Amino acid sequence: MVLNVNPKSRLFSPHFLVLPTLIYLAFFTGYPILYAINLALTGSPPALLQVITSPRLREVLFYTIMIIASVIPLQLIIAIFTSIFFLNRFKGREVVLYLFILPLAISEVAAALLWYTMLSSRGFLNKLLLELGIISKPIYFFGYEFRDRTLLAIVLTEIWRATAIVFVIIYAGLQMINKEYLEAADVFGFNFWQKLRYVILPLLKPSIQTALIIRTLFAFQIVGPIFILGGEYVRVMATEVVYWYSMRMNTYMASAWAILIGFIVLILGSLYIKLIKPVEA
Amino acid sequence: MRGLLASLLHEKNIQVEFVPLSYTDMAAKLEAEVTARAVTVSVVGGLATEIDYFASKGWLEDLARFGTLPGRTFVDTALRVVDEHKRLYGITSFIPWMTATFVIVVNNEAFKYLPEGLTREDVVMGTEKWTWDALVAWAKNIYEKTGERRVGLPAGAGGLLHRLLHGYLYVSYTGYQSKYFNSPEAVQLWTMLRELWKYCHPESTTWSAMAEPLLRGDVWIAWDHTARIIAAVKERPEMFTVVPVPRGPVGRGYIIVLAGLAIPKGAPNQDVAWELIEFLTRPEIQARIAENVGFFPVVKEATPVIVDPGVKKVSEGVSRQLATLDGKPVFIPMLGGRAGDFIAIYREAFERIVLKGEDISTVLAELEPKLKAIFAELNVPEP
Amino acid sequence: MRKTWIYIIAIFISLWILTPIIYTTIASFADARDYYERLIPRKYTLRYYEEYWRLGVSSALLRSIQVGLSTVAMSFLIGIPAGYAVGRLKFKGRDVIKVTILLFRVLPIVIIAVPLAVLFIRIGLYDTLIGVALIHTAIALPFVVLITSSIFISIPRELEEAGVVFGLSPLQVFVKITLPLATPGLAAAAMFAFLISWNEVVAATILSYLNRTLPAMVLTPYVMGTGGELPDPYKFAAATIMIVPALVFMAYIRKYLTAMWGAAGVK
Repeated sequence: MVLNVNPKSRLFSPHFLVLPTLIYLAFFTGYPILYAINLALTGSPPALLQVITSPRLREVLFYTIMIIASVIPLQLIIAIFTSIFFLNRFKGREVVLYLFILPLAISEVAAALLWYTMLSSRGFLNKLLLELGIISKPIYFFGYEFRDRTLLAIVLTEIWRATAIVFVIIYAGLQMINKEYLEAADVFGFNFWQKLRYVILPLLKPSIQTALIIRTLFAFQIVGPIFILGGEYVRVMATEVVYWYSMRMNTYMASAWAILIGFIVLILGSLYIKLIKPVEA
Repeated sequence: MRGLLASLLHEKNIQVEFVPLSYTDMAAKLEAEVTARAVTVSVVGGLATEIDYFASKGWLEDLARFGTLPGRTFVDTALRVVDEHKRLYGITSFIPWMTATFVIVVNNEAFKYLPEGLTREDVVMGTEKWTWDALVAWAKNIYEKTGERRVGLPAGAGGLLHRLLHGYLYVSYTGYQSKYFNSPEAVQLWTMLRELWKYCHPESTTWSAMAEPLLRGDVWIAWDHTARIIAAVKERPEMFTVVPVPRGPVGRGYIIVLAGLAIPKGAPNQDVAWELIEFLTRPEIQARIAENVGFFPVVKEATPVIVDPGVKKVSEGVSRQLATLDGKPVFIPMLGGRAGDFIAIYREAFERIVLKGEDISTVLAELEPKLKAIFAELNVPEP
Repeated sequence: MRKTWIYIIAIFISLWILTPIIYTTIASFADARDYYERLIPRKYTLRYYEEYWRLGVSSALLRSIQVGLSTVAMSFLIGIPAGYAVGRLKFKGRDVIKVTILLFRVLPIVIIAVPLAVLFIRIGLYDTLIGVALIHTAIALPFVVLITSSIFISIPRELEEAGVVFGLSPLQVFVKITLPLATPGLAAAAMFAFLISWNEVVAATILSYLNRTLPAMVLTPYVMGTGGELPDPYKFAAATIMIVPALVFMAYIRKYLTAMWGAAGVK
């Protein structure tokens, strides 16, 4: 995998080739972070302090954790089981696989609108149940009174939309598992659950770790579905950033919330890396 | 708008270019052009509060020198603002152009469930019997007889609920929008609102406008800005009646949104600009503007000329609200960059008191200093 | 697994994915009053799409396309050399650099967007398409590098070495041999970058006001409010319009996806 580069053409030295990328990213990511930290620390008291001591913090953290803690484990489990499912050969498998990963390309805003169609008081689910006579009054999913159901709707939307991301990683990892291990397990008379626990999961660890890291970090950035489905009343950290910036015209508070997100994300990331030590299969 | 301007072209051979701009853009543009004495804009149309800002900066011509406009009487509330500007800035800074307010729209079905002591006439004409408490009783009656919560408020993101709070309820109960934010009368207000909320449609917290809920039949009694309900009344005029808002112990508080036309200082073609202003304030043209945008005529002669039945209904409702004897019209306070904070305080109060059920006095006491701080910082009297 | 169960699950998955999409698309063409009453609407209209056209969705659409194409162009210009280096060339610190590039994507866009907005206001890039495109490029860059690196890995070395034998300089080898062979994969990477830009909503909202891309415009309450401002089918039309490129992309990308993601994930 090595191409010996002609020393005469220094222009194509590898370091030079990656430099533009590094510079670009350093500027567009590094600079804003520093600036955001600066903004977050201005004000008297500093905006960051205001955020940490504000009574809203508890509520916001609650919703953020609720959503993320519901979505991620569910997505992981679904991804693992569907990966195993797709190992089966059946007619039309390609099509179903394609459909399952279709949401990969759909934006969070579009996905939220789709699920609004499904769950609104005049939406698909309610009309279906009404027509079948199962209910006589619509089930409300949106509205302050129905906050819990709104959370459910948001979780559902996220699972619909983003499980594919986890799935693709896990699925690829699954296909790399040496068939011999599974055959050996058959010889030993393992049933499905034993195979799962003693062979598949351990060998999937690296994929699971990758998937978890990527998924968690992206989960903190979800804004669209929460705004669209939850309105003003379901608040997570990411929506707070947009709220303070767009509706309150307050860049200090917005940055403070953003820095808080970055902080938590960094801690979680390091935790993941420490706790789930990668296993070289 | 462009259609109207086309007829002006036809009539007097005046070509008008219509450019919509946001307020901040407009202010920046005016400032730049007037100070540089290179004005390109002949007529400016904006909200009275915006024009107020422009006038205070000296960017507008005195329109008095163009004389009066015959054949039209402007409504009193509009003239009051013109006079106020004359007092403050020494000039006639603008000619009233159109007005809007927030009203109540009633699905005619609801009239079957009026409570004791309240008649349809009371509601439609805005008598002293049409109080907020009466509304609560009405809503309760509907709920008890039909099992449905049929009152709707635009409490969602992008909804104008806060205007109801500071411009309608607070004025009706305390006489002021903010001055007595925390007072026994305010406590009364919030108690009433809590009671009303019990009979409000639970999806209200997702609504930014009431037109659709009204049309769907989910809501029978709705409060909202004229522009946000007009679609409903236009589509099904026979289904609705537009009525004045109820009154509180102190009076019938409501907000007037006024838009006017002004000429920037040093603008080109000022005589022609005046012709445009004349055109836009003609009763027939005023009527046609109303049909299009959900803002209403400021010229008394205009209303009878409105053709669209739905728009006519809304216009009648608005006129009646403006004509109530105990009416206490107020204007939205102009707070520049702090407006967002002002609104947030009222919305927070709503969320904590009505939605979460926190103790009224505690919340008001906690929020009041923040409110006062805004006015102190801007050095303006509390509205 | 028994065959019947397999088919049942397969059908369930298909319905789970398809129902929201199909129903929303149908609903976007349905007359609002009819839609509210019935499960399957009977009256249809193009009205909402027409209204959208009037309201400026067409401009927002155009802007999204422009930003998307700029993003692809810029991220390719900057990222392909890096992808080539990381994938093909062995050099000191390659793995560290690879991880670092990925790390830059780790931080939420929200953090990045606000300070950049303030900066852009100062230097006059606020509310411009190029400003949004610059941010989108920063977001897409790590992916482009990663994807192109795995594409270049899969190109047979023999062909490149053959080029050297024929007297081509490294650059000529790259342009005349490597690139053409990589084209299908690069096309996929381009679509990926385009989609990232097309779907991106947070930065686009924060960094623009009048000149909004499609998702940003949809997120503003005027069009968005699940509130009563506009009948529901408007939202459905918006969703449908946004989804169409996604469907096209996915049809094309099917083959490459598992390979790409597989290579990126298991490392």
